[in-house]
Amino acid sequence: MGIRLKVKNAEMGKELTLELSPDETIEDVINSAAEYWNKDSGAYIIRRGKQILKGGMKISELGILNDDVVELIPDPEGG
Amino acid sequence: MSPPRVLSCTEPPVRERAPPEENRTSTHPWCTAKNLEVCERNRPSTYIYKIADEKIRNHAQQGLSSSHEVMGLMVGGLFRWQDREYTLVRDVVTTDLDSDMLGVRFRADGFAGLIDSLDDLDFNYRIVGWYHSHPGIGCFLSHIDHSTQSGIFNQSHHSALVVDPKNKELEVYSGTELTSFRIYWDRFQDPC
Repeated sequence: MGIRLKVKNAEMGKELTLELSPDETIEDVINSAAEYWNKDSGAYIIRRGKQILKGGMKISELGILNDDVVELIPDPEGG
Repeated sequence: MSPPRVLSCTEPPVRERAPPEENRTSTHPWCTAKNLEVCERNRPSTYIYKIADEKIRNHAQQGLSSSHEVMGLMVGGLFRWQDREYTLVRDVVTTDLDSDMLGVRFRADGFAGLIDSLDDLDFNYRIVGWYHSHPGIGCFLSHIDHSTQSGIFNQSHHSALVVDPKNKELEVYSGTELTSFRIYWDRFQDPC
């Protein structure tokens, strides 16, 4: 049984529920959400409350509980 | 290892709300002629709150002395009225930037400040677009800006505002096309 994580997209207002295994990483979460929403996975950061979650962090290391909510924040680049 | 499995996706309903009354809106004084044409031909898809606009222009002016670009996120909401959706830009947030004359992005150590600014907003926000400046080089979407539009702000309610504080020009895009927008202000607020 995996861990359910809710991923809120700050620029779409939508919320995705993912089922994760403890070995999966925040990068996996961003990649899955970006693919689902047809976004550039390299153009987002993810936060839980005030904490910015780094891409290499494993779900098991973060103490994530079922139905915790994280938020995707855009990291745009202008030129 | 299999990738994370998507169990569900939920979307809040778009709220019904009348757009700002016409006598509390105006075209933007810096709007370029070609964007003004679009504004005159079409009903507004985006309304930018006067104070958000002032913050954007003040921020752009700050970067003018060094000719550095500045950038931030536009926050507000998506609404529906009489079967038509429109966006309100109620405020803007930004943080420390890595920028020069040709490009701009948030500094990696600036996200904590950005998150504080989002959490300080007194409404349930949605990030409805972004702004950045082109000091002295006019308003357009560069190749990099196109990538940002397609990779992040690719929904019809998203917009990109480009401002040139030197030439006092401003344009608003939806996708890669100019879009119709207006400035709005609150009842009893001075429109000047």
